[in-house]
Amino acid sequence: MTLLLPDLLLLLLAAIVMAVDLIRIRPLSTVSFHLSWAGLLIIFLVLIVLPYDQETIYLGTYKVNGTALLFKQVFVLSAFCTVLLSGSYFTPGGNARGLLRYRSEFCFIILLCTFGMFAAVSATDLLTLFIGMELATIPLYILSGYQKEDSLSVEASTKYIIMGSLSTGFLLFGYSFLYGCAGSLSFEAILAFAQSAPADPLLRLGVLFVMAAIGFKLTIFPFHMWAPDVYDGSPTPVTAFISVSSKAVAIAFLLILVYGPLAPLHKYLQPLLLILAGATMTVGNLGALKQKRLRRFMAYSSIAQAGYIIMAMAGGAEAARSSIIYYLFVYAAANYAIFFIISIAGRDGNEEFKSLQGMGRRNPVLAAVLMLTLFSLGGIPPLAGFMGKFLLFASAAQQGFYSMVIFAALNSTVSLYYYLLLVKEAYILQPATSSRPLVTDRIQRAALLLLTSAIIFLGLMPLFSSNILAVVR
Amino acid sequence: MTLSHFIILSLMLCAIGVYGVLTRRNLIGILLSVEVILNGANLNFAAFAHFRAFDPTAGAVFPIFVMAVSACEMAVALAIVISMYRRKKRLDVYRLEELNG
Repeated sequence: MTLLLPDLLLLLLAAIVMAVDLIRIRPLSTVSFHLSWAGLLIIFLVLIVLPYDQETIYLGTYKVNGTALLFKQVFVLSAFCTVLLSGSYFTPGGNARGLLRYRSEFCFIILLCTFGMFAAVSATDLLTLFIGMELATIPLYILSGYQKEDSLSVEASTKYIIMGSLSTGFLLFGYSFLYGCAGSLSFEAILAFAQSAPADPLLRLGVLFVMAAIGFKLTIFPFHMWAPDVYDGSPTPVTAFISVSSKAVAIAFLLILVYGPLAPLHKYLQPLLLILAGATMTVGNLGALKQKRLRRFMAYSSIAQAGYIIMAMAGGAEAARSSIIYYLFVYAAANYAIFFIISIAGRDGNEEFKSLQGMGRRNPVLAAVLMLTLFSLGGIPPLAGFMGKFLLFASAAQQGFYSMVIFAALNSTVSLYYYLLLVKEAYILQPATSSRPLVTDRIQRAALLLLTSAIIFLGLMPLFSSNILAVVR
Repeated sequence: MTLSHFIILSLMLCAIGVYGVLTRRNLIGILLSVEVILNGANLNFAAFAHFRAFDPTAGAVFPIFVMAVSACEMAVALAIVISMYRRKKRLDVYRLEELNG
């Protein structure tokens, strides 16, 4: 049962957070907030000490192995950062869009959503996978409309739920065809069928539907249109959570299917994945060039990042798995650092490019952190982003897709341009009106310190964990 | 009545649903179209369980889970639609235009 401990602890934590809110003594207490981040930290520590070379299956459908545990680390860290990030949006001041309320419900929904992600990465059959994905997605619809007095937030959640439920429909069609051709819901049966008849039309149809559905969740090129609107309209902590956790669970889903039951189809899927990856990164990079609002900018940036990640999926199983998980850690650290800076710069105002102006004077340390993070996202050598991108590109290059790697490297150069635009705002442009000082609280300083040191450390010592890197061996 | 009939029917339901999502202007209409897609998939599961599967229970149980999950999803969707109605006083998707750029 030890391998199941993080999941059980997470459920217990969610129950405690909700119960504390029900019996709270004074209103507006922050107990649930502190309880959530402390609990998530403990779960992360438990995840670190668990053995990564074992594999156990509970009840025939819930498998825990090293890969699942690594993904769980990403999810727990992401939930942890989101809870910390949400702190300043619940205290008076907030930003121009108004104060968030019902803090313990917010933490509760984040925790349950994370549990859904845990279930999705532990699946060994289509039913568990479906339930896990839905448990991970439905809370996000609620969260994106959390500011219900704000019409932008409501509009974002309306768009999100329409696109999301449409993708659920496609996903179900895909599952039904996979079930129909294999005759069973388990991954083993589907794998056996795919090995015996990889050209079966029903199987191909099922794979097509599943790819379309996951395209919505992962913001792959033709299905990415919802992302900028939803990211722009949702409350900022929710945007951060969607951009990291929801993307990570979609990638985990794709990894599970592509290298699990659909492994015999991999050589047919390779060209499709490469085309989608190329189109996705191009669309994301071109879209980010003309943005003026920070959350919308981050949406296009994360679409481009999804493109790089899908490209690695053209590689072999080991290389793709390790490089993608490593990149998810790097991406999560950089994204959360930026969102913390957005929350500090946008306090009492709007979260636009303009609110970064003059940061180099107003708070030099914060500006330096912003520059470091953006360099990491763009892939400048000593930082983690470079190593992450290098491994992703290496995974595709090992299979001989050199032209694709060159295309991705060119795209990465374009992305460097718009990341540097933010640095320009922070260092060169001065605000037209007199600016307020940038206030940071203890939690924000601690979180930024942790994230920045993670960005530097992961870049300098990518080999510190043998769990992650099988690709360079 | 063979398996192909059921697959064709469910794919037609899927097409009708997608057409509805793309063309309806009313949010409730869009949600109904989504339900049509989900039920098409359910029909598919039931048909495969009856005609092809060596594990027919799984195919029979799956639609029940789908119904439960889609009920949750619709509960959330209707809550969002209500708060949207309170903000904008209409349920027209052409009102969803504040976020762009």
